[in-house]
Amino acid sequence: MNVRAFLVRLYPPAWRSRYGDEFEALLEECLHSPLDVVDVALGALDAHLGFFNETNWRLWNMVNKHRTTILIVFAAYIAFVVGGLSLVGLLDDSPALKLMKTNAAISAAWTTIQVASVIALLAVIAGGTPLAVVVIRRAFMPSHSTLRMLLVPATAFLVLVLYGVFLASLGKGWLHLPGVLPTVSPEKFPIGNKLVLGGFMLVFILGAIASTAAVWKSIASLEEGTAPISAATANLSGVYRHAFILAVITSLAMLVMLIGTLVFGSLVHSVLPEWFSSNLGLLMIKTNLSYNITVTIMAMATLAGLFGVIRGFSVKKTA
Amino acid sequence: MNLSDFGHFSDPSLLILSSLADGPKHGYGMMVDIESMTGVHLGPGTLYGALARLEKSGLIQAIPSQDRRRPYQLTAAGIKALREQLSQLEKLASTGLKRLAQA
Repeated sequence: MNVRAFLVRLYPPAWRSRYGDEFEALLEECLHSPLDVVDVALGALDAHLGFFNETNWRLWNMVNKHRTTILIVFAAYIAFVVGGLSLVGLLDDSPALKLMKTNAAISAAWTTIQVASVIALLAVIAGGTPLAVVVIRRAFMPSHSTLRMLLVPATAFLVLVLYGVFLASLGKGWLHLPGVLPTVSPEKFPIGNKLVLGGFMLVFILGAIASTAAVWKSIASLEEGTAPISAATANLSGVYRHAFILAVITSLAMLVMLIGTLVFGSLVHSVLPEWFSSNLGLLMIKTNLSYNITVTIMAMATLAGLFGVIRGFSVKKTA
Repeated sequence: MNLSDFGHFSDPSLLILSSLADGPKHGYGMMVDIESMTGVHLGPGTLYGALARLEKSGLIQAIPSQDRRRPYQLTAAGIKALREQLSQLEKLASTGLKRLAQA
C-alpha cells in the first residue's frame, strides 16, 4: 500500500465511499511536503470526530479559528506528558540521578526541563480552566452529549487507579499470579512482570488517547445545539483567544523541554556511556532504545504543537 | 482588536466558494486558484474537510465526471450565501477605509 492509499484509509469508511477516490486523485497531484501529510492526518481526525457535521452556514462561518490550534496543542501536550513520564520512569533509581547533583551542566539541563514543565503545566491549567468551565456547564444542559464525553476521562482515570491497586496488591503479595514476582530487580525481571507492567503502560496510553479525543470532541461541539449560535460563538471567542496565547506558551515550553532532554541525554551519555548500553530501560529493555523512544514521542508531540501554533498564526496573518 | 477577530477572510469554506464563483473546478484546481488568488495554501485535508461541509450544507454540488477528479460547482444557495458574505466584507472594507482616510 502506498502512502496516499494509506492516508485515505485513515478516513472513516462512510467518508471514503463518498470522497475516497477523488481525494486520492487529489493527493496524487498535491502531496508534496510532510506538512501536507500532517494536514491530511488532521483532516482524517476531523472526519472521525464529526467536524463535518457542522452543516449550518452561520455556524461554520463563525467557527473560531483558534479552536483547532488549542485542540492540536492540547493533544500534543498529552502525548508529550506520556513521553515525559517515560523519561522519569527511565531515570528512576538510575545512576543518572547522582549526576544531577554532582555535574553542574547536567543539573542545569535537568533544571531547565523542570522549569519548562512547570510553565507548560501552568499554561495548560490557565488556558484550559475557562474552557473546562464552559464544557462542564454545557454538560449539564439537557439533551447535550458532552456529559457522556466527560465520562470518558473519568472512566479512564478509574481504570488506571484500579490497575494501580492491582499492581500494588501484587507488589505487597496480597495477590499472586503465576510467573509474576512481588519484587523484581534488573537481574530478575520475569516476562510475567513485564506483561503486567506493560499492561499498565498500555492502559495509561489508551486512556490518554481516549480522554484527549473525548475532550477534543466536547470542545469541538461547544457551539452546537445552542441558540442563537452567534451569541454562543461570541461568548466563546474570548475564551479561545485567551487559550490560544497559552497554547503558544505551552508549545514553546515543550520545545524547551525537548531541547533540554536532548542536551541532558547527550551529557549523561558522555559521562555514563555504559548506562546507555545496559538493559536498564523501561521494562528492562536497552536504555538506549528506551531513551530514543522517549525522545521520539517528545519530538513528535512538539512538532505537532508547533504545527498547530504556526497554523493558528498563519491564519491570523492572512486574515 | 486584531483583524483576525473579524474572521471570514481566510475561512477555507469562503475561499472555496469564492474560487467556484467563476465556474466549476476540481480539488486541485481550487487549491491552485486559491493560492494564486490569496496566497493561502489550503492543505488537502483542510480542503476536503471544508468541501464535505459545503456539500452537506447544500452550498456546492458535485458534477458527474468520467475523471477521478470530480469537479464541483456552486448551488443557488451557495451563490446567495457567497454574495451575502462578500457584500458584508465589502461594506466592512469600504467603511474601514473611509474611516481610516478621515483619521
